[in-house]
Amino acid sequence: MEDIQEFSEVKFQGIKINYLYICKRKLWLFSKNITFESTSDKVLLGKVLHEYSYPKENTKEVLIDNLVMIDILSDGSIREVKYSSKMKEADIMQVVYYLYYLKQKGIQKQGIINYPKEKRKEVLELTPEYKEKVKQALKEIEEITTKPIPPPAQKQKICKSCAYFEFCWG
Amino acid sequence: MQKSLYLTSNGRLRRHENTLYFETEVEKRSIDIENVEQIHIFGEVDLNTKALNYISQYGIVLHFYNYYGFYAGSFLPRKKNVSGDVVVRQALHYLDREKRLFLAYCFVESAVYHMMRNLRERKEAEAFLIAIEDEWGKGRFNISNIAELMGLEGRIRNIYYQSFNQFLPEDFAMEKREKRPPTNPINALISFGNSLIYSHTLSQIYQTQLDPTISFLHEPSEKRFSLSLDISEIFKPLIVDTVIFKLLNNRQISLEHFDEDLNYCYLNQEGKKIFIKEFQSKLETTVRHRQLNRNVSYKGFIRLECYKLIKHFIGDQVYSPLKAWW
Amino acid sequence: MFVIVTYDINEKRVNKVRKILKKYFTWVQNSVFEGEITLGKLEKCKRELLSVIEKDEDSVYFYEMEYKLVCNKKVLGQEKNYDSIII
Repeated sequence: MEDIQEFSEVKFQGIKINYLYICKRKLWLFSKNITFESTSDKVLLGKVLHEYSYPKENTKEVLIDNLVMIDILSDGSIREVKYSSKMKEADIMQVVYYLYYLKQKGIQKQGIINYPKEKRKEVLELTPEYKEKVKQALKEIEEITTKPIPPPAQKQKICKSCAYFEFCWG
Repeated sequence: MQKSLYLTSNGRLRRHENTLYFETEVEKRSIDIENVEQIHIFGEVDLNTKALNYISQYGIVLHFYNYYGFYAGSFLPRKKNVSGDVVVRQALHYLDREKRLFLAYCFVESAVYHMMRNLRERKEAEAFLIAIEDEWGKGRFNISNIAELMGLEGRIRNIYYQSFNQFLPEDFAMEKREKRPPTNPINALISFGNSLIYSHTLSQIYQTQLDPTISFLHEPSEKRFSLSLDISEIFKPLIVDTVIFKLLNNRQISLEHFDEDLNYCYLNQEGKKIFIKEFQSKLETTVRHRQLNRNVSYKGFIRLECYKLIKHFIGDQVYSPLKAWW
Repeated sequence: MFVIVTYDINEKRVNKVRKILKKYFTWVQNSVFEGEITLGKLEKCKRELLSVIEKDEDSVYFYEMEYKLVCNKKVLGQEKNYDSIII
């Protein structure tokens, strides 16, 4: 039970890292638990499509949100599945964060990002540069999420497919 | 869009091997539970905890109405979208006198706007429209507390309801607005419509992080989910009244659709069905939203109002109530 | 979107399939369901069905239309309004 609790905390932090690179406003809102994923059909679709490409055998799957799905493979490496490589930096940083977290627990692992649609994969190691970047990111998250008000909405291309679209622009 | 179900027949809501059925004397119908957002129960319906637990798993809200079609209560499954942060800030806006008055004013402003909008295209009601504009024009700047605002709103609503006599069929004359109980058909229609909009608004609030019990125009100490009453003010003239006008002027509803009991006048089952059908089709009607550049249904606009309130509470964007631009 | 579903399933599994379909669609006739559904729910339904059917023996057909209006349904004889939201 304790492990699950702890992992959900790590997972929560992982999503925040991802959001930091996608949309700082989303990061702030998410940190206050102002989320709209549960009523978004797009989110549901993403979830289900993931299950198609990677049936549950051999993996312990941890759902993170519409864009992010973490699998812990049977050999202990960490895998994330993405539908496109549009948010590459955010994806990489998220996986690197998990590696960073595991490293602190004395576990050294590899991270893999699969892009099934593009038939590609990316293998990641925790390099000193990444380590530094993760530390920096965690600091930035702290700064943003402790602000009393959210960063203002800024229109990006990805807004249209975001579960927060109606909230931000309605 | 997730759908609303309305059970006007008597029967039993039953779970059998992970299928939800509504069984009446004449049929046993399976319900496509995955697509349902809310169920409105008007008939005499039995259900047990086994069914309730199953319904809860899907986050479906149940609204119950009494024999006369008035809102009785709701069953809200354990909420998933909880944000303590939003609730605390929502409460702050209630506690601060100025902040509370601002929001209360916004609700009334939007309600009055939509009342005037309903009269605008009716030549017969011109004098009433002018009277409302006059009352609102001179009253709106002299409000220093909620009671005064309520008073102004009440005076405007009186004029507004009086105007109905100018363009509705004679059978539906409005002497005065009576709530408990409505004793004539027009009052019965308004009360029924207001019950529906109230519960639908509650369903939308439930989907967000807002706390339905902290309100601004209405006192939170009232028994009901008073935030739903606040937001309903905006949508009563916009949705309920336009549905009533349409049903009466097209003669879809006539006196035969009402029953009377001692002091009560209320819609009979057939009348309720006709009303609900029109009401639901209004909720599903869509309008192009200028900022979103998407079609938004009337139901969607209720949700957007909730979002705007959250943004107001968290200091993101000052609340500006809906004023139908179409 | 609007979808019509028909199926041909081995007797051993047909009950399971029917139960899944009942959660997402309205029963119309023997082996036929229909209904409006979102893309996400539709995929979820297919996913559930895949975990039950035997691919080399059973089949489920989906006729998917973007809007209900596209489907010009004509009925001879009794029409049953099982899809109405007011019961």
